[in-house]
Amino acid sequence: MSTESKVADSVEDTIIIKDLNKWYGDFHVLKDINLTVKKGEKIVICGPSGSGKSTTIRCINRLEEFQRGSLIVNGVEMVEDVKNIEAIRREVGMVFQHFNLFPHLTILENLTLGPIWVQKKPKAEAEEIAMKYLERVKIPEQADKFPGQLSGGQQQRVAIARSLCMSPQIMLFDEPTSALDPEMIKEVLDVMVELADEGMTMLCVTHEMGFAKKVADRVIFMDAGEIVEQNTPEELFNNPQTDRLQLFLSQILDH
Amino acid sequence: MANTFKSDPIEFKPAEAKPAPDSTVGIVAWMRGNLFSSIPNAAFTILIMLGLANVIPDIIDWMFISSTWSGANQDACVGDGACWVFVKAWSQQFFYGSYTTDQIWRVNLSLILLFVVIVMSFTLPASYRLKVSVPLFLVLPFLCIAILDGRLVGLEHVNTDFWGGFSLNVLMAAAAIIVAFPFSFLWALGRRSDMPLARSISVVFIEFFRGVPVLALFFMGSVMLPLFFAEGTNVDKLVRVWIVLIFFMSGYMAEVFRGGFQAIPSGQYEAADSIGLGYWQKTLLIILPQVIKVSMPNILATFVMLFKNTVFLLIIGIPEVLQTLLTALSNSNWLGGHAIEGYVFVGVIFWLCCFGMSMLASNIEKKLDTSHRN
Repeated sequence: MSTESKVADSVEDTIIIKDLNKWYGDFHVLKDINLTVKKGEKIVICGPSGSGKSTTIRCINRLEEFQRGSLIVNGVEMVEDVKNIEAIRREVGMVFQHFNLFPHLTILENLTLGPIWVQKKPKAEAEEIAMKYLERVKIPEQADKFPGQLSGGQQQRVAIARSLCMSPQIMLFDEPTSALDPEMIKEVLDVMVELADEGMTMLCVTHEMGFAKKVADRVIFMDAGEIVEQNTPEELFNNPQTDRLQLFLSQILDH
Repeated sequence: MANTFKSDPIEFKPAEAKPAPDSTVGIVAWMRGNLFSSIPNAAFTILIMLGLANVIPDIIDWMFISSTWSGANQDACVGDGACWVFVKAWSQQFFYGSYTTDQIWRVNLSLILLFVVIVMSFTLPASYRLKVSVPLFLVLPFLCIAILDGRLVGLEHVNTDFWGGFSLNVLMAAAAIIVAFPFSFLWALGRRSDMPLARSISVVFIEFFRGVPVLALFFMGSVMLPLFFAEGTNVDKLVRVWIVLIFFMSGYMAEVFRGGFQAIPSGQYEAADSIGLGYWQKTLLIILPQVIKVSMPNILATFVMLFKNTVFLLIIGIPEVLQTLLTALSNSNWLGGHAIEGYVFVGVIFWLCCFGMSMLASNIEKKLDTSHRN
């Protein structure tokens, strides 16, 4: 690799994680995580439960603190400074396993909250943006309902739209389909595939291997707080190097 | 769908819903299920019904049939039953204390304002309900004080010594809870805070006002509190007990709120964080509305407790309704032993108000129940 391309690479790197370490009390959850994500790259993180995959992406928008190492998002280093954290959070959207919509607000209000209160946009403009994204996730007719009146799949699509309303540059997905009934997984994955096709930088913790094969540029396999292997989906799934990944793959694919 | 199947599909039609069998609905089924479900249950039902049949006719006879309703003074009380003439003759005192008779409309106006603001706070369209009713609520206690006192709004001055009766109980309780609301919310936040100083101050405050009996607090308010004010300032006795009630109430409500905070799933905080809301935005827009919703029954219960506790004000000589009753009972024109009528009357009006509030609480709960949380 020439020096020039390296410089170009570092400009395009939106997330740079270096030697990230995290402990819960005495428990070492993340061990020397190193990960660089380029702009527009789609990364799928998989691994057994408790392997630290959710914790890793939750560090990126600082829902979790870490004790050692450095994390740079969009050229801004994540430190204790509150202003920095909120600035980063505006650029990074997050979708949760349990949707976490605000149950006391309508769908439209859920979507406009960020644009109105964080980006200080006028209400009319915020609603326009909200309707645009609701149409994109194909449920504009649900705008005036409350989250509790929607199905799980619809709620998760609203949650995706809510993140997109803040026009983030990076989207984090924390097991977005794990809490869904089988019939609803596809509608959520479809939205995510569409988003990937549009060039969004995505980090996605999921066990949907079909999705990984379809959109991921890179798949990362984690276990016991470490990145065990990373590769393109084809290589990683068809040619696992470690016994741990072979075991994992045999367990999730043998059905 | 890319899937292709071997055979042509047979159309699936869901079966129609059928009505529930008769034995599970209707009055007879309800009685069988709830009153006579087993032999001991049936025995208890019959025993209690016999007991009620024994007592209720006597009560009805005393209250309504043998009772005296008309008359103007003690001499009218000749029947065997209750003498409601006593209550009637003293009714103005019971409701308004010694408030100047031709100014009583001001008390009524305050009560009506209170009622209107309460009704508005859950009938206004949701889009601007909070924006309107929160400021109204916060202004209300001071507006009522101005109206009742009169000096600020250019009306005849009525000294607080003359305020009294049941209206005082209602207005005191309402004024205390309204002002206590924001305070208790802050105490609850403080107690949950990561900052050691804020947390320990909150804990000490909350536990002090929850741990000391309200009677002792009233004594402190009337005797000790003046020591803290600058020399020469004479703070009105009612204002002092108002402050005591606010502190007492905010200690209890802080714990109610804390319970509410704990009921909010951490995902709500994380979602609010992830869209970049600041601490106060997150707390006020996302967390507080949900906290109030889950705490509503407890808030109302605490309020009912405070409302009933206002009768303890008699201990420091404030002429609220029970104190007025005691004055009436010792009046030389009414020495005919009307204690039972008096206490029944006070009991009934308190019960009506408290029952009304529980109805209101359950109504609000149903209204707020928009999320069928998963």
